[in-house]
Amino acid sequence: MLNVLRRRRGDDLQAIAKTPWWETHLKYFFIAPSLALLAVMAVFPAIMSWRMAFSRVTFKLGELEIEPIGFANFTKVFSDNLIIGSTIRTGVWVLVVVSAEIVVGLIIAFLMSKLHSRARMIFTAALIIPLVLPPVSVGAGWLVMMDVNFGVLNYLLSLVGIESQLWLADDRTALPSIMLIDIWQSSMFVFILMYAGILSLPQDPYEAAAIDGASPWQIFRDVTIPLLRPTFVVVLLLRTLDAARIADRMLVMTRGGPGSSTETVTLSIYKYAFTHFNFGYASALSVMFQVVLIILATVYIRRILQA
Amino acid sequence: MVGERSAPLVLSRHVLMLGVVLMVLAPVYWMLMIGLKTESEFSQIPPTIWPQEFTLEWFEAVLGKRGFGEQIMNSVIIAVIATSIAITVGSLAAYGLSRFQLPWGLNYHILFFILTVRMFPQTVTVVPLFIFFTQVGLIDTHIGMGLVHSMLELPLAVWMMLGFFRDIPRDLEEAAMVDGDHWLGAFRKVIVPLVRPGLAATSILVLIASWNEFLFSLILTRTEAQTLPIAVANQVTQFDILYGRMMAASAISIIPVLIFTLLVQRNLIRGLTLGGVSGA
Repeated sequence: MLNVLRRRRGDDLQAIAKTPWWETHLKYFFIAPSLALLAVMAVFPAIMSWRMAFSRVTFKLGELEIEPIGFANFTKVFSDNLIIGSTIRTGVWVLVVVSAEIVVGLIIAFLMSKLHSRARMIFTAALIIPLVLPPVSVGAGWLVMMDVNFGVLNYLLSLVGIESQLWLADDRTALPSIMLIDIWQSSMFVFILMYAGILSLPQDPYEAAAIDGASPWQIFRDVTIPLLRPTFVVVLLLRTLDAARIADRMLVMTRGGPGSSTETVTLSIYKYAFTHFNFGYASALSVMFQVVLIILATVYIRRILQA
Repeated sequence: MVGERSAPLVLSRHVLMLGVVLMVLAPVYWMLMIGLKTESEFSQIPPTIWPQEFTLEWFEAVLGKRGFGEQIMNSVIIAVIATSIAITVGSLAAYGLSRFQLPWGLNYHILFFILTVRMFPQTVTVVPLFIFFTQVGLIDTHIGMGLVHSMLELPLAVWMMLGFFRDIPRDLEEAAMVDGDHWLGAFRKVIVPLVRPGLAATSILVLIASWNEFLFSLILTRTEAQTLPIAVANQVTQFDILYGRMMAASAISIIPVLIFTLLVQRNLIRGLTLGGVSGA
């Protein structure tokens, strides 16, 4: 590899002649395994999804039949009330959850940046705990805490004089209840990213603002927020894409119910594929969803590059 | 930033943050405690903050259940396979991308491509993988699930290791090679020791992600390779929800993650920020 490195500088022409071909092309060997893994496990399946989206797919006893039917799967989407409902619900979910998480995460990050360094370390370590726990186990835990009869949440509400809630058992409170759990867990992700962003802010603008006699609020609004913009957009991108794909919490806690009050796009697609075994339709929904996510990501990434 | 204000203000900030931390951790504490309470105690009003009478009956019931031990083992095996593959393959790519300039701006494109894969909706890959795995016999196998999880976490591994490799000055390995080492020797003697903390943190993040993963495991396993999150979920969906057992099962899945997290928390935070790609 030294030869390769030297060749880059062009100061050892003799070495090139002696270098075996595989060593001059070594750089490709480093990256090849990753690309191969992604090609087999992600790209090939995605291409297959696109093909199945335009087909009627039957899969019985390991025998796969794919019969092209044009756009039939796609036209069906617009008269499918279940998926229209899921789409709206997922949109609301993303909007509520991501904005709440950004507010909560940002507040905690700011507060944290004002503490003593020793306290910061301990508190930060404590706050990442919810983030790394298995969503399924966490969901199970909240299920117990949201129990109508002896859940601790209803007990806490009774202490402040609020009547018992049905939480997950009522179609009006089920989705907000799961939102609460998501905000609890994923705000800590926003916190970590925002906190890192705050810690790496340059100090000069602050000194300038202090000399100009700016108030803390003015400093926050005119210095901190603009400087944090790139971090902010990254957080928004990552959280939006993850929130839009939510399904595991619902799968464990409500299976989409009561009624379809907690059914999201991914959950609907999952049901079409693995309870109705309608792979063609599920694939059509998947690729449409993929296109939406790609558009979203592209818009965000453009903004990151502009920022 | 401290010190510039009055002592009471600084103190009140610390107290406020302590309050936030306690609120955030309270649900975790509560979940872990329910698994240790007797049935009459966890359904009583008002609830007890500290169990009056500790019991291990739920843990015994869960661990004694046929298959639960295997599900724990499956989770461990799959997480180890996924971590070995993702870390080996991912570090190689990260090293290559940090040391060489590929033609046509491929470095940037490859990194971006790896990131986009992470953004695919799960259903776009899981439906074809279900068919593909059934046909080639990888369904419900450890190696199949390990491959899937390593694919899911490869972006995290590459992006995180890239940061660690970039921190190592190139002069170090050139010096080793000038001293007569082949590049492989230089890699082993110079690079590997330096990125060891990074490797540890990345491995643990991948390990945790694989341990927690639910949707792919639900679809691509049945019995032989069924993982712990599926076992926990199964406790939930039974007609008669057994809260004690459910919380014991959850606790068993939570405790290893807690231990790992606390062990490497400093590098982990760096990983979470750098590798923000992985999501939660």
